[in-house]
Amino acid sequence: MQLPPFEYIRPESLAEGLQALAEHGDKIAIMSGGSDLLINMKFRLDGPEYLLSLNGLPELQLIEELDDGSLRIGAGCKLTELANNALIKERYPALQAAIFSVGSRHVRNMGTIGGNICLDTRCWYTNQSETWRDTRDGCFKTDSEQCHVIKTTTKCHALSSTDSGPMLIALDASVVLASQAGERVVPVREFYQDDGLDHTVLEPGEVLVAVIVPPPRGRAVFAKLAQREGLDFAAGSFAAAVSGSNEKLDSVCLVMGSVAPEPRVMEQAGKILMDAGLTDESIDAAAGAARLSLDEVTNLFTPPGYKKRLIRALVKDALTELRDQAVRG
Amino acid sequence: MARVKEDTAVVGKNWARLDGADKVSGRSIFADDVRLTGMLYGKVVRSPHVHARILSIDTSAAEALAGVKAVITPEDAKDIWLGINQPLLPTESVMHVGHEVAAVAAISEEIAARAAALIKVEYEPLTELLDVEKAMEDDALQLHEKAKGNIAWKQEEEHGDPDAVFAACDVIREDTYITNPSHNCFAEYHVCVADFSSPAKLKMWTPTQTAMLFQQSLAAGFKLPVSDVRLLTLNTGGGFTGRTSTRPHHFLAALLSRKAGRPVRLRSAGDEEFIMSRAGGRVTYKLRSGATKDGKLKVIEADLLFDTGAYIESQMIVTTLTSKYIHALYPIEASRYRGRLIHTNNLPYYFHHGGGIAQFQFALGQHMDALARDLGMDPVEFNLQNAVEEGYTTMDGAFYASCGLKECIEKTAALAGWKDKYGKLPKFKGIGIGIGAMASGAKGLFRHDTSAAFVKVTEDGKASLFVGIPDMGQSSHTTMAIICAEVLGISPEDINVVSGDTDSDPLDVGAFIQRGTFNTGNATKNAAMDARDQLTKKAAELLEVEEAVLVFRDRRVYPEGQEDKAIPFKKVVYETLHSQEGRFVMGRGFYSSPLEKGTMAYSFGAQIAEVTVDPGTGVVTVDKMTASHDVGRAINPRIVEGQMDGQIFSGMSQVLYEEILMEDGQVMNPSRLDYKMPRAFEMPEVEHIIVESIDPNGPFGAKEVGEGPIVCTMQAIANAVTNAIGTQVKEMPLSPWRVIKAIKD
Amino acid sequence: MAKQLITLIVNGDSYEVAAAPHQTLLEVMRDILNMTGTKRGCTAGSCGVCTVNGEQGEAILSCLALAVEWDGRPVTTIEGVEEGDKLHPVQQAFLEYGAVQCGFCTPGLVMSAKALLDVNTDPTEADINEAMAGAICRCTGHIKVKKAIREAAKALREREVNDGAS
Repeated sequence: MQLPPFEYIRPESLAEGLQALAEHGDKIAIMSGGSDLLINMKFRLDGPEYLLSLNGLPELQLIEELDDGSLRIGAGCKLTELANNALIKERYPALQAAIFSVGSRHVRNMGTIGGNICLDTRCWYTNQSETWRDTRDGCFKTDSEQCHVIKTTTKCHALSSTDSGPMLIALDASVVLASQAGERVVPVREFYQDDGLDHTVLEPGEVLVAVIVPPPRGRAVFAKLAQREGLDFAAGSFAAAVSGSNEKLDSVCLVMGSVAPEPRVMEQAGKILMDAGLTDESIDAAAGAARLSLDEVTNLFTPPGYKKRLIRALVKDALTELRDQAVRG
Repeated sequence: MARVKEDTAVVGKNWARLDGADKVSGRSIFADDVRLTGMLYGKVVRSPHVHARILSIDTSAAEALAGVKAVITPEDAKDIWLGINQPLLPTESVMHVGHEVAAVAAISEEIAARAAALIKVEYEPLTELLDVEKAMEDDALQLHEKAKGNIAWKQEEEHGDPDAVFAACDVIREDTYITNPSHNCFAEYHVCVADFSSPAKLKMWTPTQTAMLFQQSLAAGFKLPVSDVRLLTLNTGGGFTGRTSTRPHHFLAALLSRKAGRPVRLRSAGDEEFIMSRAGGRVTYKLRSGATKDGKLKVIEADLLFDTGAYIESQMIVTTLTSKYIHALYPIEASRYRGRLIHTNNLPYYFHHGGGIAQFQFALGQHMDALARDLGMDPVEFNLQNAVEEGYTTMDGAFYASCGLKECIEKTAALAGWKDKYGKLPKFKGIGIGIGAMASGAKGLFRHDTSAAFVKVTEDGKASLFVGIPDMGQSSHTTMAIICAEVLGISPEDINVVSGDTDSDPLDVGAFIQRGTFNTGNATKNAAMDARDQLTKKAAELLEVEEAVLVFRDRRVYPEGQEDKAIPFKKVVYETLHSQEGRFVMGRGFYSSPLEKGTMAYSFGAQIAEVTVDPGTGVVTVDKMTASHDVGRAINPRIVEGQMDGQIFSGMSQVLYEEILMEDGQVMNPSRLDYKMPRAFEMPEVEHIIVESIDPNGPFGAKEVGEGPIVCTMQAIANAVTNAIGTQVKEMPLSPWRVIKAIKD
Repeated sequence: MAKQLITLIVNGDSYEVAAAPHQTLLEVMRDILNMTGTKRGCTAGSCGVCTVNGEQGEAILSCLALAVEWDGRPVTTIEGVEEGDKLHPVQQAFLEYGAVQCGFCTPGLVMSAKALLDVNTDPTEADINEAMAGAICRCTGHIKVKKAIREAAKALREREVNDGAS
C-alpha cells in the first residue's frame, strides 16, 4: 500500500507549525510518530493536502517536573522513552503499564504520547482499504449519513482505542492544547467526546503539545485484554485510580477503554466503591455495574455479549489487584 | 521389528542450512526483489460485489493515462481457464467479492493503481449464495451448470459393513465439529514477475511449492508446449500448502506482459492478500464411531461438508486425503465416508497448513478423546490400546513398513508426566493428547509421484546437486545436500545445490504432500550412488582392492577397516576425470512409489498439550507442548525440531486464533493485525522427542516431518481445553468467546 | 508534492536521493537505492519484515517512516550488520540455532533482535518477547528465534568480558 501525495511541512518551531495549521485549515493533518496516521492515509481515510510533521520539535520532547509536583510530558515524547522513564516508572507505574501496552516495541519506538492520546477511533467497517470500503455504502466516517454498526443511530460508533487515554483520565491528568490564539489546559476527562467521527475537543488550528499528570495520590492500576499480548488493540481496557484505605476510599476514578468512541468513566461503579470501599462484594458489584453500563456495540471482532463479560472479568481482576496493592503496602 | 540404524558420518548431525548465511544477511533474493529492465507494475481490478452480472467495462480513461502500457479485460482472456471451472476473467458474472475483472500494467505502482481506479465497471447485482446449507436447498440458485445442487465434488466410500459393526458396539458416539475459514499468512505476499515479451516463451519468477504444476498449468492456459514455460523459483517465503497451484495473478501478469511486450510484476497489496483466496473454507465434520466396552474401537463414520466457494480447483484433494485418514490411526472393522464440496459465492478456497488432514484430525481427535471418556478410559490408554503398529495394512490398503506410533505415545506421555496430571490438575488447567499419521508422498493424486536428481562431481572434490524440489523454508535443499554428501563421503558444505529453474531442474512433483525427504531424498541418494559408482573403478585401481570393499567417508576413500590406506576423495575424482579415455562424473537418480497408488512410508506422532483457561475471559494459554514424531531417521535433527516447532505454532495458531471473519461475502479482518496469529509472547515451552523407526524404504530410513506434527497439535490443545473446562469446544478456532460459551452452556 | 533532495545515511554511506514526501523509507531503499535486503511485507506496520534500526539503534518500521523524515539521520539495515567478513553474533546465532527457515521475515527479525541486544545483552524472556512481538514468523513459530536470541546474548556477554579483559 502506498501513501497518497501531499505537501510536507516540517516547521522549525512550534509557532511556525501553528501558523501552518491556521493557514491550511482542514486541508492539513498533524503527524506525530505517524504509526497510526500513515496507515489511515494508506487506507485513504485521510488525504490531507498538507502534512505537518511535529517530529524533531524540541519543545515537544521535554519531560519536566512542575512546581506543584506535577509532571509535564511533551506530546512528542516517544512511547518507548516514556515507558523507560525512571520517574514515570516510580511515580506512575500504572501509566507506565498503559504506555507499555501500546502496539509493539517497533510502534512505541515511532509513536508518541500525543499521538496515542489523539489516536483515531477504529471500526472494522472503516479501517479498511479504499477498495474494501467500495463494496459497501459509506458511513459517517466516509461522508455518508449512516453507521453499519448501529443502523438506527445518528452518529459514528467507531471505538476509542487509546491505551493511555483511560489511564490519564483516571490519574486526573490534563492536556495542553495550543493554537495561534494561545494555550488552553483541558482535563483529559473532558478532552474526549462520544462521537467516533469527532472524538476529541481539538479545534481546527489546535495541537496537543503536552500532558500534565498531577502528583500521584494513592494507587492506580491498568489492565488490557487483547487476543495477543503484543501488537494488538484492546478488546477492552480498564484504568483505575483510588486513594484512601481499602475500608474507606477518599477518591475513586474508574475508566474503561475500547468500549465506546471515548474512554468511558464508570460513575455508577465508582460510587459503589466510594460507598463500600474495596471488598470482595463491592468489587463484584462494581464489575457488574461496569458490565451493565456498556452499549451493545460490536464494531470490532468481539461479540457484544462476550465483550460485556470480558469487561466484568477485567474490572474484577484489576480492582482485586488494586485492593491487594494496599495490603502489600 | 527394530532395524539397525546405519552408521553415518554426515546424516544425523546438526547442520546449519546452506542458504542460511545469505538469509541472515539480506542477500537472499525473493520474487519481489527481482528488477528487470523495462519492468512494469500490474494492478488488478476486483469486484466489489458478491454476485453480479457484468454489464460493461470502460477502460478508456485508464488507457489514456500517461504511463499505462497495457489494459486487459475478459476479452483478452478468452479460453484461459484455471482449475476445473474458473475462467481467468469472468465474461458474464462475478462470483465473489474481490473477483478479478480486469488488470493494468504501468510504469510505476502508483500509476497502475490510479489506472485501475479509472476502469469503470457496471454491474447488475444477482442473488447471493453465501451459506452452504442454503446452497444445498432444492430450490437454491445454481452457481455452475455442471455442479448440480451446487455440489462441486462428492466422494463416498464404505469399507466393511458399518451398520452391522455399529449394531454390535456397546458405546456409540456422535459429534459435529466446525472449522472456520482461514488464511496461510506466509511472510511473502503473493507475487510474480512475468516476462512474456517474446510470446513464444513465458518466463516467470514466483514463489511456489511446485514449479512442475505451475509450469503445466501456465502452459495449458496459454496453449504453449510445457518446455516453453520457464519457471524460476528464487527463495519461497513460506508455503503452508498455500502455493501448490497457480492463481489468477500468475496468468494476469503473463497476459499483461504479453500485451505490453515488457516484463510485469504483480504483487498483492494489503487486503488483496486475503481477498484473493482463503486457505481453508468453513468445514462441518459429522462424526460417529462405535466401540465395544472392552475399549476396542470398531467403526468410524465421517461426513464432511466443505464450503469450496465460487470455484473448484484442486480442493477435491482434501476430500480424497480425508477419506484415507479415517483409517490411518486405528485398526477398525468398518468405515463409512462422505465428502462434499459445495459452491457458494464465498472466496474460492485452497488449503491451509495441514492440508485438511490436520483440520480433520482436530475433529476426529476430539471425538476419540470423548469416546475414550464415554468408555471410562484414560485417552492415553485408549490410544495405546487401539493404535496401529508396524506391519499393519489399513482398510484403505496403506501398508505400514515402519510405525513408531506407540513409542511416540508412550514417550510423550512419560516426558509430559501424563499419569501425574491427567484428572489431577486444578480447575481450569488441562492436559490433552493428540496423535497423528502422515504419508510421505501421495501417488494417485497425480499419475506419477516422481522426484529426480543429478549429481555432478567436480575435480576439486566437490559436487553440484541438481534437484527440482523448491525450498520454501523446510530446508529440503540442505537435507538433500546431507544425503548426497553421505553417499559420496564428503561434507554437505562441499555440495552446491542447484535448483529453481525448470530449464535445468530434474523432474520433481514438488514440495507438498510431504514427499520431499522421502521421494526427493531417495532420488538424491540414487543419483549420488550413481555418481559414486562412476568413481569406484578408479578408486579400486588406485588402492589396488576390490570395488566392493571401498568406503567413502570424511572426504576420503579407503578399503573397509583400513583407514590408514585412505586416499583423498578429491584425488579419486581428479584421477577419474583425467583418465585416458576422459570422463565426466554425473550421477542421475529418481524415485517414485513402486505402488500403483499410495506411498511406501508413513510417519506418526503424538503431542501432549498443557493449557490454562481463564474462566473470566475464556482466554486459553498454552503452557507447554510435549511433542514426538516418528521421522524414520532424522537427517538433520535441528531442522526436524524446527519443523516441529513451526507446526506446533501453526497448529496452536489455527486452533486458538486464526479465523477469516466473513460478513456478506467479505473478509472483515484482511490484515496481519486483525487476522489474529500468536507471536513471541504466546509461545509455550516445547519439548521435542524424535523417534527413529528407521523406515526400510526411506533414504537412510527417513520419512516426512513436514506436516505430520501439525496433525497432532490442534486436537491436543482442544483436548486439553476440554480437560480444563469439562466440555468440548467443537468449533475452531477456540476463540475466547467460544470457550466462554462452552463453559456457560 | 515536489520531490526533495535528501541525504540518506544507510549503513554509514551517504546517498543523495530525490524523494517525494509520500515515499516511505522502505520504498526509497528498495526502489531507488536497490537495497532489497529489507523486505516489503504488510506495509501497514503489523508484520515487522521491514524493520531497520534508527539512529539510536532502535527498531523502526520502514514502511511507516517517511524518507524525508530520515534526511541526515543514520539508518542501519540488514545489509550493514555483518562485521567485516564475519556474521554478527545475532546473525551467527540465527544460523546456528535454526532460527531461519523461509528467510523472508529473517532480516526484520535480525534487526529487531539486534536492536534489543545492542542495549541489553542480558535480556529476560519478557524482554525478548517484547522486542520481538512486532514481528511475525509462521515458519519457526518464534521458538528457535527466541533460542537464537538467548544464545546471541550469551555470545555478546562473553565478548564484553573478553573485551574488558584485553
